[in-house]
Amino acid sequence: MTEDHERIDELLAGYVLLSLSGEDAAEADRILVDHVPSCATCRATLSEFQAVSGDLALAAPPVDPPETLLPRLHHAMDEVPLSGRPPRRGALIAVAASAVALVAMGGLSVVLGNRLSNAETRTGTALEILSAVRSGAAPVNVTPQGQTPPESGMVEVSAPDVRRLYIASEFCPEPAPGHAYQLWLGSDGDWTPVWRMFWPDEGVLLLEIEVDVARYDQIWITQEAVGQRPTEPNTDGPSWLGSLT
Amino acid sequence: MDEDDRHDLELHRLVSARERSAFDELYRRYGRSAYGVALRVTSQDLIAQEVVQDAFLALWRAPEAFDPARGAFRSFFLSLVHHRAVDAVRREERLRRRTERAANLEPATGEDPAEDVVEDAYLRVRRKEVRAALATLPPAQQQVLEMAYFEGRTQVRIAEELGIPIGTVKTRTLAAMRKLREALREE
Repeated sequence: MTEDHERIDELLAGYVLLSLSGEDAAEADRILVDHVPSCATCRATLSEFQAVSGDLALAAPPVDPPETLLPRLHHAMDEVPLSGRPPRRGALIAVAASAVALVAMGGLSVVLGNRLSNAETRTGTALEILSAVRSGAAPVNVTPQGQTPPESGMVEVSAPDVRRLYIASEFCPEPAPGHAYQLWLGSDGDWTPVWRMFWPDEGVLLLEIEVDVARYDQIWITQEAVGQRPTEPNTDGPSWLGSLT
Repeated sequence: MDEDDRHDLELHRLVSARERSAFDELYRRYGRSAYGVALRVTSQDLIAQEVVQDAFLALWRAPEAFDPARGAFRSFFLSLVHHRAVDAVRREERLRRRTERAANLEPATGEDPAEDVVEDAYLRVRRKEVRAALATLPPAQQQVLEMAYFEGRTQVRIAEELGIPIGTVKTRTLAAMRKLREALREE
């Protein structure tokens, strides 16, 4: 396919600035998978734009972080499991309170991954889930596949607006060293990776997904190598499969 | 690649080997810049702290996410912080509208706001280069870049807020990125 490089450059500029949405974001996703890897010019452009994006951070005034931040980091580093760790139990409200969130805006297109950042946000997310359940949303199982521990099954809840889904697990195993989990959206057997990978937090996982259910009918969570952009779900490691309802 | 980039690479290699002292040195080098951009984007110190903590933790957990073949560590890491900051602010916005930005987080004009903060000389130099490059952009291009990068706006939203066609936003964004690329290109 002949690509319009001026158009691609526009998309890459918007992509590195995280400012694409809707069809533009979907087109960027397609180009990043189908075209950029095989086009030296576009690979160079993407790399250069990413360098600019990194340097733009320096335009912000530098600020000394609080002195407590590094000790907190050290503490968190001590808690980071480098291999499997027994999961712990907890209620759904506790799931939200210490969760890792991943948000996909506008179908598969733009993905925003972030750890829930403060108590207010965590509580808000928990309330959104409870509200969905109270509104009659029926939880759907996201089922462990193959050798994946059966107790690690996840639950999917749809928000009343249908487009928003929550996927929660209390017993998600840590991925293998050098790996993380990847969410895929499926349609008629075609799988599209949602961009950013994620980790559970001491067995606890919460994904929040805004997805166009008219375009996708399944989700798949797989273990993938960090630092690579997978093009197909990895069927060797733990994985979970569920339907979008 | 200059000496500072090579030093970053060595520190990254040591972090990959689980050397905490190298991690602390990367924190010392980039903590202020990371916290600065996180504060600038989120306008909330608690969220900015969480963003910086998550970014450094991600580095510790999966140092292999940085591929030296794809550019400088500095760009990789500050992009990671920026991405997480934008993620955080967009999530916050969905739950509640942000209130006024703190006055001390507004972009500096004239004096270099970095002067009170001790940081490595090479970062100070690069910071001046970036600001000088930004200053050469036409105001309309600066505006879309500012809204996208530091306010986490999508191009659609920028077009709505400025009352201009989205095609114009795209054109200005690309022109700005190309000019910055040329101005900031490293040998």
